[in-house]
Amino acid sequence: MRAFFRLTSVLAAFVLTTNVVLAQDKPQVIAVNYPLQYFAERLLGDAAEVVYPVPEGVDPSFWRPSIADISAIQSADLILLNGAGFATWTSRVSLPRSKLIDTSRGLADQFITTESITHSHGEGGEHSHEGTASYTWLDLSMATAQAQAIADAIKARELADATDVDQRMAELAKELQALDVAAGEALRDAGDIVFIATHPRYQYFARAYGLTIISLEWEAGAMPGDDELAELEALAEENGARVLIWEAEPPASARDVVASLGLKDVVFPPLNATSAASQSFAASFSEAVRQLHTAAADASPG
Amino acid sequence: MNRVKALLVALAVIAPTIAGAHQLNVFASVDCQAVLVEAKFSNGKHPVTGEVRVLDGESNLLTTLELDADGTSRVPLDSVDHSSGLVIEVDVGSHDDYWIVTPEDIARKCGS
Repeated sequence: MRAFFRLTSVLAAFVLTTNVVLAQDKPQVIAVNYPLQYFAERLLGDAAEVVYPVPEGVDPSFWRPSIADISAIQSADLILLNGAGFATWTSRVSLPRSKLIDTSRGLADQFITTESITHSHGEGGEHSHEGTASYTWLDLSMATAQAQAIADAIKARELADATDVDQRMAELAKELQALDVAAGEALRDAGDIVFIATHPRYQYFARAYGLTIISLEWEAGAMPGDDELAELEALAEENGARVLIWEAEPPASARDVVASLGLKDVVFPPLNATSAASQSFAASFSEAVRQLHTAAADASPG
Repeated sequence: MNRVKALLVALAVIAPTIAGAHQLNVFASVDCQAVLVEAKFSNGKHPVTGEVRVLDGESNLLTTLELDADGTSRVPLDSVDHSSGLVIEVDVGSHDDYWIVTPEDIARKCGS
């Protein structure tokens, strides 16, 4: 009996060790935002571990990693960047060029330059910063091109079987195209509606579907203050806006106040972070479009 | 009174330059002897003064240096415990930025 237990223990230890070794042996891919993580996972299957390194609740655009985080990222097999100025930390560290893929590199001619934001801080006086809109994946044709860049990088580095990757990419592209067509149809009549977003996240989405989306600079998920609500009211009146897009679910009382201003509202997480997507990328995008369609239809004067 | 006027005139002249300034970018490289820090605004100009803070992997402040007039600074590696890597923060008053140096960055440059 004792011999049986000893043998079982040895076997159990062997199985555990093997699993650990297998887990460690898997190539590691770093994705700087949720869409890239989603695309990489779809394309790689079980062939590699895809890691989104940003802690929950932290905006990946402005995450400040620790030295240990960067050490871990430097040792990854592939590092997927969004480009278009997304994730400022990526330009404040040394990342191995051979492992870097800027997934929007081929899309530079489609980038949207953001308006200057005049502000002041410290003793520097009032000044402005011009930048590039970063949320490229909300234009699904750009998202598809980014996914293709990931597929090409995976194949070039032989991180997964090339035939499998091609097949998965074809499925993903088909799925994204279907989403794009459905969104186009759902928002076909929304071109006359003016939307206001609580944060400038939707530039590529607006361009893709011919929408007018004006942006505020509100904190995600927070109760807007009196000044902010006054700004919203003035902006809505000035532009004839009828729908407010929340970047994240606000307090219920905030939605009540917005309704009292005569605005319809929807919550449209821009899907930048894993925690911002309650469902998969495709399902979250589809749900946001459905809500926008309903709000636009309700707000339509006809 | 004249001095106050002169100061106000000087500030009026300087203010547009500051207002035109853009983001601060910090870059640091390692040559095994030191970390070489370079700070530059996105419009290509460099700050002439500023504070360089050097922190370790636990965010403990190791040393503080002044930025040189050409926007650079040099942190001798033997002057700080760099075993857990270094975070270089540059603060020029109106803007700040950082650069992260990992232990692997240092080891790579020192041939180990």
